[in-house]
Amino acid sequence: MHNTTTTALLKSGKQDACPTTLAVQGLSVAYGSASARTCALDDVSLAFKPGQLSLVMGPSGSGKTTLLSVLGCLLSPDSGSVSVMENDVTGLSEEEMGSVRRAFIGYVFQAFRLFHSLSAVENVMLGLEVFGCGGARARAIALDLLDQVGLAGKSRLKPDQLSGGEKQRVAIARALAKDPPIILADEPTASLDSASGTQIAKTLKGLAADPGRVVVVVTHDDRWRSLSDRTIQLEDGRVISDDGDQK
Amino acid sequence: MKLAWRNLINDRLRFAVTIVGIAFAVFLMVFQGSLLAGFIRAASKAIDATDADIWISARGVDCFEFATPIPRRFREMAMGVPGVAQVQRIAVGFTLLQKPTGTQQMVLLVGAEPGVGSSFPIPYIAGTSGPVLTESLIIDKSNTRALNIMLTPVSTEVGYNRARTSNIIDGFGSFFGTPYVFTEYNDAARYLGLGREETFFLTVGIAPGQDVQTVKRSLQSELPEVDVWTRQEFSRRAELFWIGKTGAGGALLTAAILGFLVGLVIVSQNIYATTMEHIEEFATLKAIGASRGFIQRVVLSQALSSGIAGSILGLVATYPAINAVRGSIPWIFTPWWLPLGMIGVGLLMCAAASLISVRKAVRVEPGRVFRA
Repeated sequence: MHNTTTTALLKSGKQDACPTTLAVQGLSVAYGSASARTCALDDVSLAFKPGQLSLVMGPSGSGKTTLLSVLGCLLSPDSGSVSVMENDVTGLSEEEMGSVRRAFIGYVFQAFRLFHSLSAVENVMLGLEVFGCGGARARAIALDLLDQVGLAGKSRLKPDQLSGGEKQRVAIARALAKDPPIILADEPTASLDSASGTQIAKTLKGLAADPGRVVVVVTHDDRWRSLSDRTIQLEDGRVISDDGDQK
Repeated sequence: MKLAWRNLINDRLRFAVTIVGIAFAVFLMVFQGSLLAGFIRAASKAIDATDADIWISARGVDCFEFATPIPRRFREMAMGVPGVAQVQRIAVGFTLLQKPTGTQQMVLLVGAEPGVGSSFPIPYIAGTSGPVLTESLIIDKSNTRALNIMLTPVSTEVGYNRARTSNIIDGFGSFFGTPYVFTEYNDAARYLGLGREETFFLTVGIAPGQDVQTVKRSLQSELPEVDVWTRQEFSRRAELFWIGKTGAGGALLTAAILGFLVGLVIVSQNIYATTMEHIEEFATLKAIGASRGFIQRVVLSQALSSGIAGSILGLVATYPAINAVRGSIPWIFTPWWLPLGMIGVGLLMCAAASLISVRKAVRVEPGRVFRA
């Protein structure tokens, strides 16, 4: 059962894209006990508008992945608020957060996170099945998405039979399966060769062209800068630069 | 739940190890259960083979095999109780049988009067009723080797009296090491040296339309010096005696319980290991928004698929194994409900084990998906 906030959220959709699809306000996250407490994020406030590809950059330990986890409703902040589709999702239960993730957020992981026992098309279908859509309809949508990412001829192959770039494209197709308004990508090109990385970057840039969609990419790779609409630089858990307003 | 099945068969070796583990657990439970069920059945076989409604024994007799004498006149007294239609005598006791080789073997000699029941071994001249052969013995085929009697008829001595083994039957194998030898009542009394005024058991058949409990109460009232049981009561008493008060029964019961516990541990470990091997995938499922119910269904499907495959394999292995040991353990018995029950128990164990592992799966931190 969803609470009022979740129900309201689930009734909204990408079609009713908000001015700020995704936002955090006064966000702080710390790890560890009192004696060895590490501040991963310290008073971070950001708002992401649809139709933009936003980069989150910074050295290791700067808080990029923690920020992505909070934005993706995978981690609750110690303080501050998170809003998805202009609804405050801070403090939702784990099951409710799952509902938000299921309905609004697609993920692309550095390690692909595909299911090795399933074929490419079945991996994409899984993204629909958790959403309650299965059978022939799910297969048709999955095949169409694989076609969109250039893998029409490889739908029956298993992840082990695909190259790194192809795996990541399957992962992108899975993230797109439910047509989410938010795509979060964690180092999506870190495990790929240069050519594959460029292809994936262009694919994600293409997704951000949708005026109803927010794409946030965490990366170390400077090549992304030329494709991004906005670059946020983190250091020691704080935003040290954000060119969002300049671009 | 395609994911569940694919997860299982993707790593065929792991799956094979899992179903072999479950198969072994089911095999162990069915085999040990068959030993226990066979032992229990054998413990009351002689009692259940009679058609008697009521058994009368000396006070404190726990089972068929270890009886003490009662006065023969109780038979006539029992016949006088309203509702009683017939009363037969049974003599039971240990004595020596001389094998054809000249060596002697301790046997449990059983002699019953005709009419005790068509399933009870008595050396009738023909069929299962009518005149009986005198000085004639019946042995079970499982004891032919122990008694060195492979063919009948063969002359022998029992209780230092001349006799002849005339028939070999099936289904009355000894479960406690000493072979049963059946004969007619008067010969048994003579072989056992039973006094003229003594007998061991009286079996009572009640008249049609009479209530067993009412007749039993009347008999107990008329014969306060003895125990009076319905056949079912005496049968259960004998089973409980052999299971609860003897080392053999206790060992079998313990082994059956241990078999169940070992099976439970094997199944639990396999299901838990299978779930934990895919914990990263469950984290991914959770991250992409799979509900708790979705993950539970995947884990439960994996467990039940393994359980069904393992149970079938276990049962396929059990029957040849039971048939193979039947030569040395003739009383082993697999009731029809035991394999079905053990499949049910096996699947329940898988489901229970999956409940333990599903907690790990649904509680996995979804944020770990960002760790490469």
